[in-house]
Amino acid sequence: MSRTAQRLAVFLAFALGCVCAHAAAAQDRSAPRPELRAATNPLEGNALAISNGAAMFRNRCAGCHGPDAHGYLGPDLTSYWSAGGTDARMFDIVRKGVPGTEMIGADPLRVLDKDIWQTLAYIRTLSAVPAAAPTGDAVSGERVFRTNCASCHRVNGRGGQLGPDLSRIGSARPRAGLAGKIRGSSDVIRPGYEPVTLVTRDGERIRGVRKNEDEFSIQIMDARERLQGYVKANLTAITFDKQSLMPVYGPDRLNDRDFDDLLRYLTSLRGATETAR
Amino acid sequence: MRKQTRGLDGRDGQDGQDTNRIVPAVLVMLACALSWTLASAQQPALRKVEGPTASVTSQDLREGLKNPTRWLTYGGDYGNLRHSPLTQITPANVNRLVPQWQFQTDTLGKFEAAPLVFDGVVYVTGPLDTGWALDARTGRQIWRYRRELPSGLIACCGLVNRGFGVLGDLLFKTTLDAHIVAISRKTGAIEWDTAMEDFRRGYSGTTAPLVVKDKVIVGIAGAEYGIRGFIDAYDAQTGKQVWRFYTTAGPQDPGHGTWRGTDAKAWEHGGGSIWVPGAYDPELNLTYWGTGNAGPDYNGLEREGDNLYTASVVALDADTGKLRWHYQFTPHDIWDYDSTQMPVLADVTLGGELRKVVLFANRNGFFYVLDRATGKLIRGKPFIQTTWAKEIRADGRPMLLPNSVPSEQGTRVCPDQSGGTNWMPPSFDPSLGLFFVTARESCGIFFTWKDDYTPGEAFRGGAVQRLGDTQSSMLRAIDVTTGERRWEFPYTTQSWAGVLSTASGLVFAGGSGNVMAFDAKSGKNLWHFQTGSSLYAGAMTYMVDGRQYVLLPAGTTLTAFALAEF
Repeated sequence: MSRTAQRLAVFLAFALGCVCAHAAAAQDRSAPRPELRAATNPLEGNALAISNGAAMFRNRCAGCHGPDAHGYLGPDLTSYWSAGGTDARMFDIVRKGVPGTEMIGADPLRVLDKDIWQTLAYIRTLSAVPAAAPTGDAVSGERVFRTNCASCHRVNGRGGQLGPDLSRIGSARPRAGLAGKIRGSSDVIRPGYEPVTLVTRDGERIRGVRKNEDEFSIQIMDARERLQGYVKANLTAITFDKQSLMPVYGPDRLNDRDFDDLLRYLTSLRGATETAR
Repeated sequence: MRKQTRGLDGRDGQDGQDTNRIVPAVLVMLACALSWTLASAQQPALRKVEGPTASVTSQDLREGLKNPTRWLTYGGDYGNLRHSPLTQITPANVNRLVPQWQFQTDTLGKFEAAPLVFDGVVYVTGPLDTGWALDARTGRQIWRYRRELPSGLIACCGLVNRGFGVLGDLLFKTTLDAHIVAISRKTGAIEWDTAMEDFRRGYSGTTAPLVVKDKVIVGIAGAEYGIRGFIDAYDAQTGKQVWRFYTTAGPQDPGHGTWRGTDAKAWEHGGGSIWVPGAYDPELNLTYWGTGNAGPDYNGLEREGDNLYTASVVALDADTGKLRWHYQFTPHDIWDYDSTQMPVLADVTLGGELRKVVLFANRNGFFYVLDRATGKLIRGKPFIQTTWAKEIRADGRPMLLPNSVPSEQGTRVCPDQSGGTNWMPPSFDPSLGLFFVTARESCGIFFTWKDDYTPGEAFRGGAVQRLGDTQSSMLRAIDVTTGERRWEFPYTTQSWAGVLSTASGLVFAGGSGNVMAFDAKSGKNLWHFQTGSSLYAGAMTYMVDGRQYVLLPAGTTLTAFALAEF
């Protein structure tokens, strides 16, 4: 091989090496990271971890899961382990979130693995409420739902869209939270469903839910499911109501048995695929 | 100019590449270059450029907006007034403002930069360590710069950058992997590249540089990861470090006694980030920088004492980096009240006396007026609701309120950790004596826990739960002679928009994606345009071909507005 050819070969080898190194680096960035987390909580029972985890729980979890983790908007966590849940699955839920619910995944740059384990170490110290045996009949509950709720709520592609889609509501809300919402004792309104009344210049009153708003306009879905934006300069009043557009279903409108059946049905809703199973 | 790379040990070199393998590659490249040169020599000679080639001098930087057609530093001038003398767009005609061009970055992320404009060209940095030169008349790209970033970047709050600095034919910028680079203004090519610190230990660069004389002054971010903050000056031509000022006082520094508590090394990972540029007073030859929160953010047990020089403004000799004075806004910060807001230098009449002052609307909720030569407090007054401190005493220290220390059980404090304002730059209209700032009213529940310091890992010692129903945001005009609010305009959603004002009596700011113009005297909204993205930066203004443009970064889009021509 001539000297020039040798040099060319060396150069080509170098260039190829560069390309390969770049490809490897790019792959490294896009490839999913290997699972590094432990299968069981390495900090379980650790006193400092439990005390740190308590503060982390209050800060990051209590808003939805309640100050005692017995559930509020989000599910009861205290009976998770007694119901057969594992540390590893709980860790993954915290890290990745639950699709279709308000439970978002924890950003690894902000929440270290250690922090998740500390939080879990704390939750395990909370006394579990013995899970009440489920009552009510889901099949009957679905009929109650179709009659009373489906004009505004959708499940697995069927139903109205003025209210939130409930296809996964059983994963997102505990039974008590759903009960409060139906009976009217809960004032929680999901963002995007805040009730609003607009009054136009010619006196027309439009009731709906707020989808978006800025300084100069507001976008709503009205009670007939019409999406429409309004320029504020053309409105004489914009009133946000405290009460949800959803009617209160007291015992006079929904007897205790139908109520029980409806709750059984709603808590069974875990998303299209899981419910179908 | 010779291209240089400089590693952390200060050695010039090729970052450990094998020179034996490089030599053949260089030979091939030389051969290519030679044949290209021979080929181009046969072509007709390039048209000769008439007159002097435009280049930015340190005198240009000193004169700031004296030539108001351009914009050469983050704050418009060394005082960071962000107040342009341009008057073509007025309160009477601003409703004729229409978009002229848009530029989209083709990246994820968002603009937080102040674009620079010089000689008909816009120079702007984007997210993910990108940058562009654009035709200021049309928005057409001239060149694009993009840094190959290593994996594993550690940045708490977005992969953003706040803009270029400029001198001569070089642009300067900090990088997310904690380097500072010089880029050719003509081509976008790297001219030198110096590592400031090791990004794997949580250090990152996002501030725009401040160019003073022959030096590029920058700082480092990362206080959420236990860094030791600093302000650095680099030689603009060579990239060699000239001086460094650490924002946490080490054993040799006078403020070292303010780091007590259980961790004797607390100052080594005590925070004090710099992520918004400072100001410069050429007469005093002082450069002023706001410093970030102490670390860990919320748990102060291991770092009792004032924790100098975190949450402060420091005035440094621009030639040597020596501390001339400091004023600490939040002694022993345990609320993440970074003082990285932009210091504004102004000459204002207070009590019948013309005073050279620093104006500082602080994240901790107070609006400060300090003597620029001495750092002495002239006035500190809340511009939002504050429950951590009631007032600033005559001796300059805040009068703390009870029940404001973050705790394991949670403590409600106002403002929340994002503060009364944040990185979004304010503006100051000297003729009206009005300071315009994007303000936030908010409260949060501050929790603490114990974090052990591990290099490159989050080191916050707690977190804050924002209280949604306490949050609102607005543009406020503060009369600097009294500290009183003159007017405000409420936004529907949280605004992170910076502010620009002009000598014609206009203020440009915005919220909810709307860029808006206001009457500076009354606060009346005169014009708006929905950009389609939240605003995380401020507008700037320039003039080219006799036409005034207002240029606004929103999301990953730049929009240039001018008066409609019919």
